[in-house]
Amino acid sequence: MIKTVNLTKVFRTDEVETTALNNISIEIKKGEFVAVMGPSGCGKSTLLNILGLLDTPTKGDFYFLDENVAGYSERQRARLRKHNIGFVFQNFNLIDQLNVFENVELPLIYLRMSAKERKEKVHEALEIMQIAHRVKHYPNQLSGGQQQRVAVARAVVSKPHFILADEPTGNLDSKHGDEVMRLLSGLNEKGTTIIMVTHSQRDAEYSHRIIHLFDGQVLSENVK
Amino acid sequence: MWINYLKIAFRNLIKHKLYALINILGLAIGIASFILIWLYIIDELSYDRYHEHAKNTYRLVNVYDFEGVGENSASSPFPVAWTLKSDYPDIIQNVTRVFNRQAPRTLIDNEFVSYNERHFFFADSTFFQIFDHEFIMGNPNTALDEINSVVITESTAKRYFKDENPMGKTIRIEKMLDLKVTGVIKDVPHNSHFTFDFMASLSTMRKPYGGQLPRTWVWNPCWTYLVLKEGTAKTLEKSFPAYINKYFYDAEKENVTLYLQPLVDIHLKSKLDYEIEPNSNITYIKILGVIAVFLLIIAIINYINLATATSAGRAYEIGIKKVFGAFRSQLVYQFLMESVILSLIALFVSLFIIELLLPHLNNFSGKELQIGILIQPVYAAILLMIGIGTGLLAGLYPALYLSVFNPIMALNNKLSKATKGGLGRKTLVVIQFVISIVLIIITLHIYEQVNYFKNADTGFDKENIVIIPISGTTISRAYEPFKEELLQNPNIQSVTAMDDMLGVAHNTHEFRPEGFPEDKWSFYPALVIRYDFLETFGIKLVAGRDYSEEMKTDPEKGMLINESMVRHVGWKSNEEAIGKKFRSLQGEERVIGVFADFNATSLHEPAGPFVLNIKETPGVIVFFLKYVAIKVADQNKEETIAFIESKWNEKEQGRPFEYNWFDQELAQLYNDEEVLGDLSLILTAIIIFIAALGLYGLVSFMAAQRTREIGIRKVFGAEQGSIMVLLSVEFMKLVGIAILIAWPLSYLLIDEWLNYFAYQMNIDTLSFVIGALAAFAIAMLITNSRAYIVARTNPVNTLKYE
Repeated sequence: MIKTVNLTKVFRTDEVETTALNNISIEIKKGEFVAVMGPSGCGKSTLLNILGLLDTPTKGDFYFLDENVAGYSERQRARLRKHNIGFVFQNFNLIDQLNVFENVELPLIYLRMSAKERKEKVHEALEIMQIAHRVKHYPNQLSGGQQQRVAVARAVVSKPHFILADEPTGNLDSKHGDEVMRLLSGLNEKGTTIIMVTHSQRDAEYSHRIIHLFDGQVLSENVK
Repeated sequence: MWINYLKIAFRNLIKHKLYALINILGLAIGIASFILIWLYIIDELSYDRYHEHAKNTYRLVNVYDFEGVGENSASSPFPVAWTLKSDYPDIIQNVTRVFNRQAPRTLIDNEFVSYNERHFFFADSTFFQIFDHEFIMGNPNTALDEINSVVITESTAKRYFKDENPMGKTIRIEKMLDLKVTGVIKDVPHNSHFTFDFMASLSTMRKPYGGQLPRTWVWNPCWTYLVLKEGTAKTLEKSFPAYINKYFYDAEKENVTLYLQPLVDIHLKSKLDYEIEPNSNITYIKILGVIAVFLLIIAIINYINLATATSAGRAYEIGIKKVFGAFRSQLVYQFLMESVILSLIALFVSLFIIELLLPHLNNFSGKELQIGILIQPVYAAILLMIGIGTGLLAGLYPALYLSVFNPIMALNNKLSKATKGGLGRKTLVVIQFVISIVLIIITLHIYEQVNYFKNADTGFDKENIVIIPISGTTISRAYEPFKEELLQNPNIQSVTAMDDMLGVAHNTHEFRPEGFPEDKWSFYPALVIRYDFLETFGIKLVAGRDYSEEMKTDPEKGMLINESMVRHVGWKSNEEAIGKKFRSLQGEERVIGVFADFNATSLHEPAGPFVLNIKETPGVIVFFLKYVAIKVADQNKEETIAFIESKWNEKEQGRPFEYNWFDQELAQLYNDEEVLGDLSLILTAIIIFIAALGLYGLVSFMAAQRTREIGIRKVFGAEQGSIMVLLSVEFMKLVGIAILIAWPLSYLLIDEWLNYFAYQMNIDTLSFVIGALAAFAIAMLITNSRAYIVARTNPVNTLKYE
């Protein structure tokens, strides 16, 4: 479903050239739950950005749903992204000016769904995330755990094939962290493919497979 | 410490090149425009103030009001000046009369050259005691004492005498009278309500008038200036009724009022009949002043706006400084210093811009403005205050605001939430757009009004008519043969003559219409003309007949009046007026024809009763023939002019041939409006430019604030287009609000301005639409150009630091 072949990402500034990813070749199958681990600066987030179609590789091939998207334009990637991928971030990235409902509704608007349909889907997602009672609240009126549940609701509301999670529990205490992990795990059981970057061995335990990155290269792949 | 501040200030400038450029440029252009207008206004206000007695010098104005007809005359009868002086010796310190024979041109020659001079005057010997002019040669107190003496300006001396010493040499006027040069003065400063190249002794005119100057109290050709003892103007004006009663003719007494017009007010406030030169208009100066102040305010607020917007990005630096022990006061100094440096740079740049533009402004306005005046302590201080003040104001907000932040918050870049302050900025954008839209609409209207004037149906033809000034010429004494010879040419369709320029100026003549009481004489606007006047100018005859050379009694007994006159007298129809009698100074005249109303002067004034009259008394006829008007065919104009010139040269040996196209003469009536239109176009462009810079800054600022939000939206599928819409919609709303305010405001302002004219174009709705569309287009262009950049940013870059 996702496959990279010798994927390389180089960042250049005026004087410095940094190789963030170096010949990464991995494959992720439909329905898998994969964790990506490694120390700071090993390229985890860069990999996730490319897998999430937010960024493009410098070299190598990237097959997304069997299409080689390595050379896709921003517009093409945006199309693919909004139909197929949901994101969850460490710091939630909710829009402060929008309330819970509106935040979750956002991806559906960009899918040009009707208002009625949007309403149904948002409520369904909020129900699943057990946050429906806070629908009129703004992000700053919620606890961290609640905010992340809203963020997960936003990630799943359009029923994407993939969810990419970047340290989804990084800003949460262990209780709320576990709660979020159980939600993700539940989504995975219903068929959503999940790729998660994490520092936490405890979170990684929820996955089927752990990819260890070090200095931009795959160190090991542990299948459990 | 200060070195460190300076270092950071300059590095910041370099780091934020675009902002610095926008900021400096916007402020510099604002200050430069403000100073340019300021120089212009200082100059306009300086007219005639260079004379020592300026404050106590007045011009006597004569108002003749005969139930709505008559004149407001800037000039007075000959005897007025000296009878006033001798009747009120305690009040009036000095008087002088200025006289130009009511001749638009005076032929001057000497052995070398000859010119038709426009700036030739006679004056009493006291002239140079009242008006201070720097004498290069001669004595100001005695230069005009003798008859046949003349004072000339430096450049006139060069024209007539090259490098020779002109003192004691002679020039000849109208090939009749020799004048001896008794003084040479520096050229008359441009900031004088009239300029002259020659000032001859008025006593010279005694001889041509038969031994003494005219004693009539009816003819009023002398511009009369009085120097009063300080604070006595009101007292003198109170005694005018008694004075009028003592001297003026019984028939006039009731209808004449005199008043004093301060010399220093003439240039800006005087719009009388028989002005020596057209004056400026205080309203236009006020309009310019208001625009200038707006411009400066917009530039300053914009500068503050941009400066504060950029400062939000400095939170990190502030955080580090605070962590390492900076006091709040040190941070405040740093911000203020940076901001003042920037505004002083802008001030400096503005001086360059002024230096660059001043020659163009001078060229365009006919002035001699100099940047040097700004070195004077007062002006230099004001300039510096603008520079430093703007800098302080701009620096104060970020200085006080940012320096209070908790360093942890600042380091974590959590300031974006706190630095919204959106309402103030939005208000500013709205104000800028209101001003821009109003100015666009007003500028369009000024141009349209000028066009309307130029193309308006004034009731006479303007095209293909050549005007030749002939006063004092041989041709004026033998006009009919000249006309006959001209008509030989098939390209010359019609020829006539008149005593003033139709559509520009006219005299008034004394009449008593039939049916009016015995003592009820009125001065009616009138032109003295020759045959074929109606035909040459295409004026419609609506009843009766035109003057005819066949009818021998026409010149003495016949007159033409217009439809307004028919209504004024109270006759029921134009036909009824035919054959009616008017008493005139020549006896009795009958109405032979009624012509359609035309605009005898500019369209600032409405058309009223008017008389066209032929006078044939020998001696008088020469005086009244000042212009020949020749209607020529549309083709072969150059040949026709050459033909006219050849005929002129046959008759006028040595007198230069001069001609003007009638339509161009008329267009000069609206110079004021045209200059105002051009100026307001330029200022509008500048204000829009500055407003655009400000908007660009604001859009950038808002986009920067919303970077994270935009990033999130993009991650969840927003495409570039929808991000651009997101960012622009807000500004379009502001422009919409601005339009709603600007429309009624413009309407009121234009309505007010148009009231100044007797003939107004309709308020033009299209220009309202244009103003609004222009504002939208500008806002769209700017917001989209910025939003495009933001919308293209990869969300990975904006989100990863969170």
